[in-house]
Amino acid sequence: MSSIALSVRGVGIAFGGVAALEDVSIDFPSGEIIGIIGPNGAGKTTLLNVISGMAVPDSGEVHLGEQRLTGLKPNRIAALGLRRTFQSSQLFAGMSVLENMMTGLHLRSTTGIFGAIIGTARMRAEEAEMRERALEALDFVGFRHFADRPGDALSFGQQRIIEIARTLIYEPKVVLLDEPAVGLSVNRVAELDALLRQIRDERGVTLIMIEHVIRLVMGVSDRVVVLNSGRKIAEGLPDEVRNDATVVEAYLGHQGGNEEGHQSAGQVDA
Amino acid sequence: MVLFALLLVAPAFGNQYHAFVANLILLYIILSMGLNLLIGYAGQLALSNAAMYGIGAYATGLMMVHFGWPYWAAAAFGVLFAMVSGTLLALPALRLSGIYLALATLAFAQTTFWVMTHWTQVTFGAGGFVPPPLDFSPLPLTQSEGIYYLSWIAAVLLYLVAKRTMESPIGRAFVAIRDGEVAAQALGIDLLRYKALAFAMSGFYAGVAGALYSGLLGFVGPESFDLLQMVLHKGAVVLGGMGSVVGSVLGGVLLTVLVELTKEMKFSIEIAFGGLLIVFVLFQPQGIVMLFKKWLPGWVERLHYLPRDMQQQPAESEPKIGPGSSVPGSGPGPHTKPTAVEGDD
Repeated sequence: MSSIALSVRGVGIAFGGVAALEDVSIDFPSGEIIGIIGPNGAGKTTLLNVISGMAVPDSGEVHLGEQRLTGLKPNRIAALGLRRTFQSSQLFAGMSVLENMMTGLHLRSTTGIFGAIIGTARMRAEEAEMRERALEALDFVGFRHFADRPGDALSFGQQRIIEIARTLIYEPKVVLLDEPAVGLSVNRVAELDALLRQIRDERGVTLIMIEHVIRLVMGVSDRVVVLNSGRKIAEGLPDEVRNDATVVEAYLGHQGGNEEGHQSAGQVDA
Repeated sequence: MVLFALLLVAPAFGNQYHAFVANLILLYIILSMGLNLLIGYAGQLALSNAAMYGIGAYATGLMMVHFGWPYWAAAAFGVLFAMVSGTLLALPALRLSGIYLALATLAFAQTTFWVMTHWTQVTFGAGGFVPPPLDFSPLPLTQSEGIYYLSWIAAVLLYLVAKRTMESPIGRAFVAIRDGEVAAQALGIDLLRYKALAFAMSGFYAGVAGALYSGLLGFVGPESFDLLQMVLHKGAVVLGGMGSVVGSVLGGVLLTVLVELTKEMKFSIEIAFGGLLIVFVLFQPQGIVMLFKKWLPGWVERLHYLPRDMQQQPAESEPKIGPGSSVPGSGPGPHTKPTAVEGDD
């Protein structure tokens, strides 16, 4: 068993008296792909927000390795090697794709304002190096030819893939993906599936993914966690979760016999 | 830049009035570059630039009048004072954005204006005051010539500063904050630091322009720094092109010429300017610099233009984090249904 990359311990958070998460504890083993599924309103995105520092939990803690993340600002957490994507595309529209990628390396730059004004040799070397690495990262997802396009000139699906590449450029330990397959065509989903495996196998990055495309989650994930109404109701290998009675019930409500269980879980979706 | 070279020799031709206008052009170039860093690049819609300009002018003039400081020391103080005031405005900008930030900074500007008009013992009230004449004695320059060359040097240096910083990681951080604060943070960009820097830089630019203005006019009064002035600065930025340093240079020139022309023709500046702004916003929202980029081959400035769909872009962070956030159905795209069928087999 590999070590734990990220652990969520007893996290609870409420918005205006409504509990979005209640006492959620999950250990995410490093180097695995972990899928998080659950019906609408289950608290999945809230969980990602808590992990990445964009929401502060009322109780509980999040640790990245030994490092406590709870209470740190999102940019500090990003600096520690935890990166994320969002449900909607968040490429910077006013920059080229290449500059978007270089922004992912922002923290690698040591240039201050005076260095920038003078245009020191060190800064120029750093910029050249960042450009090189940005191009490599684009190569990894096969989008090098888009480098000079404006961020908003690409299709939605392309933007999402480039966003994933932008998280990888920093060589993060953990990447959170919030519904990476939203709006992708069937072929694109297959490509995403291959890309995620490649990220795990070649880069050793721990991927934590919220996804509604059940075939993708069940196919690619090493482990699956199921949330419902702010609580963790199941966790395990994809097949275990698929056949879990509570999971089926969470999605479909009380619906007679167990014999439908497997098949219905296949369509589990929001 | 050809334009700066032209401006350097400009006072040799034409009369005193022309030289004065040329000097104003330099000041507006500085002002619109500074404001563009803040609103065009960093996306912070602040309406306090005229106030910073005024603070620079007042602080410079008042130090000379009340404490007898020499111009260079008073000007340095004025610039610093404007920069610090500007930086303090970054604090509300951490919590507010868009129209709310605009209102907060407008309130600050109006308060500044009120202090200029009403704190009579210090600011001499609505009538303004006359700072002592400047002496460039070792150099064979009159006051207006001296200020002119100072302005020219300042404009060129500040042009280089703006261009260099905006082409560095700092510029990328500014644009990232403009295009998506939440995503910028998720990439490790410290919002406080870069917003403070953007406000400090634009305060610095406005302060420099203000310090020069007090020397140029030989008079400092509140009406030079009112709301119309703010609109003019914003106008110069929009005419030139948001997110373009070169655009701001062009905008500064165009705006000053326009203002002087309307004076000449005794036409209402408000009407002329309002009309022009509307035309630009509707038909050329990226400013004249975009025309240059289109029609001049080999135009090289890396543009960080404001995307057209900016209105719907700014990743309003709050709803994301709120309880509604875990409702993916609200996301765009018909994503779930087709794949549900897919997973069925």
